[in-house]
Amino acid sequence: MRNYENLVIIKPTFTAEEIQSSINAIEETITSNGGTIATTDAMGMRKLAYPINKNERGYFHVIYYSVAPAAISEIERRFRINEDLLRFVTIKYDTNREIAAWNHLVEKAKKKADAPAKEEAPEANQEPAQEEVATTEESSTTQE
Amino acid sequence: MAEKRKYKKRYCKYCESKVDFMDYKDVGALRFSLSERYKIMPRRLTGNCKRHQDMIAAVVKRARAAALVPYSVTRHAVVTAPFENLR
Repeated sequence: MRNYENLVIIKPTFTAEEIQSSINAIEETITSNGGTIATTDAMGMRKLAYPINKNERGYFHVIYYSVAPAAISEIERRFRINEDLLRFVTIKYDTNREIAAWNHLVEKAKKKADAPAKEEAPEANQEPAQEEVATTEESSTTQE
Repeated sequence: MAEKRKYKKRYCKYCESKVDFMDYKDVGALRFSLSERYKIMPRRLTGNCKRHQDMIAAVVKRARAAALVPYSVTRHAVVTAPFENLR
């Protein structure tokens, strides 16, 4: 068993129920191929960075799971057939460092699912660091 | 001689904050290593170390495949930055 993460982008034209049913179908393909889903993370409807099949938006959903490496080709084949999906990205977490990161991500996603209100607190801690980085970049460009 | 150092002495920001793994979904953290047009900034300008630059390259390309970061930004699209809706 190896740890994986799948990000799927579902068509924006669907209603909430249709999205939910297609998510269930996606999770069903993973579990039916011997995978165990650790957790899921709904990133929600987002604007795409570039249009895919003339769609400007998409529903992002992340699934963390572990499955035997041989089953991945079958899961991806099913995703390719699935017309509900605009895009899917499969990430393998193989090395020790990556597995630690995977565990961390799973915990983070679980916390987010449990308490959406609490989720803002750790993000607030991260934000200043990012802003700092951004401002330093700006200063470097002005020097030029 | 005519062209002196344009940038300050560089150090790797990721080494300083001891980043061990980057998540491609965390677009805000990638922003530092991307240019205005979402190109990957070269190491000589950002000061990133080789190890972290390699991580950034992999992570940015993943984010591009996932439509979180654009592949290219034209003059037409550069006005409406794709990040405005994300956060």
